[in-house]
Amino acid sequence: MLEAVELTKQFKQHKAVNKASLFLERGEIVGLLGPNGAGKSTTIAMISTLIPPTSGDVRFNNESVIKHPHKLRNVLGVVPQEIALYSDLSAKENLQFFGKIYRLSGMELKTRIEEVLEIVGLTDRQNDLVKHFSGGMKRRLNIGVALLHEPKFIIMDEPTVGIDPQSRNYILETVKRLNEEKKMTVLYTSHYMEEVEFLCDRIYIMDQGHIIVSGTKEEIKNILSSEDTIQIKVERANESFIQALHQNPIISRVTVQDGLITILAPKEVNLLSTLFKLADETKTVLTSVEIKTPTLEDVFLHLTGRALRD
Amino acid sequence: MMGVLSAKFRLFIRKPWMFLITSVICIVFALLIGEANKKEIRVPVYSDLSKKEVTDLFHSLQQSDLFTFEWMDEDDVHKLVSEGKVVAGVKLEKDDFRLIVSSKTANVYLIGQYVQKVYTKEMQTKKIIESATKNPNISVENVKDALHDAKTHPIFTLEKKRFRGEETVIIDGQLQSIFGFSLFFVIYTIAYNVLYILIEKREGIWNRMILSPIKKWEIYAGNLIYSFIMGYIQVALILVVFRFAIGIDFHGKLLTIFLLLIPYVFAIVALSIFITGIAKNVQQFNAILPLIAVSMAMIGGAYWPLEIVSSNVLLTLSKFVPVTYGMELLKRAVIYGDSFTDLLYPISILCFMGVVLAGLGINIMERRHVA
Ligand SMILES: Nc1ncnc2c1ncn2[C@@H]1O[C@H](COP(=O)(O)OP(=O)(O)OP(=O)(O)O)[C@@H](O)[C@H]1O
Ligand SMILES: [Mg+2]
Repeated sequence: MLEAVELTKQFKQHKAVNKASLFLERGEIVGLLGPNGAGKSTTIAMISTLIPPTSGDVRFNNESVIKHPHKLRNVLGVVPQEIALYSDLSAKENLQFFGKIYRLSGMELKTRIEEVLEIVGLTDRQNDLVKHFSGGMKRRLNIGVALLHEPKFIIMDEPTVGIDPQSRNYILETVKRLNEEKKMTVLYTSHYMEEVEFLCDRIYIMDQGHIIVSGTKEEIKNILSSEDTIQIKVERANESFIQALHQNPIISRVTVQDGLITILAPKEVNLLSTLFKLADETKTVLTSVEIKTPTLEDVFLHLTGRALRD
Repeated sequence: MMGVLSAKFRLFIRKPWMFLITSVICIVFALLIGEANKKEIRVPVYSDLSKKEVTDLFHSLQQSDLFTFEWMDEDDVHKLVSEGKVVAGVKLEKDDFRLIVSSKTANVYLIGQYVQKVYTKEMQTKKIIESATKNPNISVENVKDALHDAKTHPIFTLEKKRFRGEETVIIDGQLQSIFGFSLFFVIYTIAYNVLYILIEKREGIWNRMILSPIKKWEIYAGNLIYSFIMGYIQVALILVVFRFAIGIDFHGKLLTIFLLLIPYVFAIVALSIFITGIAKNVQQFNAILPLIAVSMAMIGGAYWPLEIVSSNVLLTLSKFVPVTYGMELLKRAVIYGDSFTDLLYPISILCFMGVVLAGLGINIMERRHVA
């Protein structure tokens, strides 16, 4: 249905997006995952026709949207990363304003507003000013505005940043419901792996402007199927132990974060005995050792050598 | 476009304070400064020369609308100046004069300029009399009478030129400051409304509108028409308060003023788009705006009448500033009673500035903030 072909965006010296290609089929939820500054928002802005790409193309039903954005815009809802609302207006007034610019009016506008308020769970608070809303409520209304004109395709840019777990779950459930009940196609951006794992059929992972991997959850995790992820806690941080891990030829990657040592190594080898031997040699007391099934987080770590979030 | 406008008015009703406060401040400022300007400025005068020698000069000095020259002893003059009771005193000498001042202010400069002008004229008169009286048939008195006649009955064609001309300048301190402050404050009201374009871009509201079926010109038009209306209402409101609550006499020209404000407010809306266009972000806008507004007010004669400015550089600069033409329109209509057709020139300049600045501003904005 929608296809982005080698999208590139150059800001002065800096290439924010570099030959990113992706596609969405009707009815899918597709995740776009990546750390801060990966280029997710820039990619989305190009796909949603807000900024022109430096090179590359966006095709909607096999037609380029760059010259003729209207066919896409008519069926597209965009939930921006920022709260794009008038904070001095009430929830209802915001919906009225954005409804009007979508050429809705009269009874139609009224029923749409009621439906949207219902979907995002703000019916009780519709007359409160947005500036008095909690972060989660603002986020929900931010989504609601994008639903007014009943889009077939919705792009959401980190719709859950900085909110409480309840609101977050509510939003995730809402997205799932919209997809299942209204057959909405969703492009969902996040830097939370769990969200993407929960929602998405297919996933693109982006880093430093490149799409570094794509596929279904299983396909992506299979990248790591030949490797084990082991997390170790030690009684006292010990530089020589870490050194020894780094120098060991079987271990493919070592990262230390908040006292937690994460190592990746091929499945076949008997890593545990090696670990205990190294600990013994460096007089390190291990307090826990855990072999984990790989997460998308681990895939990212494996591919880039960096954690997704710091 | 109506959607954009109605949202704007709704937002205004939620937060009218800024608008009301600037209106009140503007009225208070114009009142205070107008009142101060109404009082004439005292300037004590003394001389070592005999009184007879400086009589003519002293008389000419006293013709000023702005300053009241008083004859005093040398000691009293120095005392008044050093105690700060007057801003300056003048010592008259034969072909020259001296200012006694304790600090340099704008008024000191104006006094110096005025006295200089009187001296120059007086010297010219002297020269004329001297050369005329070389002819034994003409008496000094005859020449003086003739010169006096020429001064008190100015040549008729001078009338229309007087706004820019050197001769009869009327300075009405109170109207000057009412017009000046209204035209100055409204720059802020308008500019801060136009700034919402930038704020809405930053907050992502603009992008939402771009994606909707609403046309881009409708978004611009909604914002700009709203800014125009708010600016216009503010000046009109301030002038109505002056007319009906404070009882200022606009010589029955209130309706004419309302008409003449249209091109000025339009030019300021356009200027605001231009400033919004060149500013990268809101902070930059906040830094640039006062700079431009204040210097325009100074150069354009909103703070003090342009009639007393003699620097050619400043006068040339003033030609590029909309405030100049706004002030000119109001003063010529109200104080000099010029008709609408006499004012077509400043009106068309304002419209021209408006069209050019708006075109440039929107262009820069489109290029800068989108791509
Ligand atoms: N208008 C712009 N001009 C210059 N650089 C920009 C612009 N917009 C984004 N960038 C840069 O492009 C890079 C990618 O930004 P982008 O906002 O797309 O990242 P992101 O993946 O959405 O990150 P986040 O998770 O923080 O939202 C960043 O380094 C950013 O600084
Ligand atoms: Mg982003």
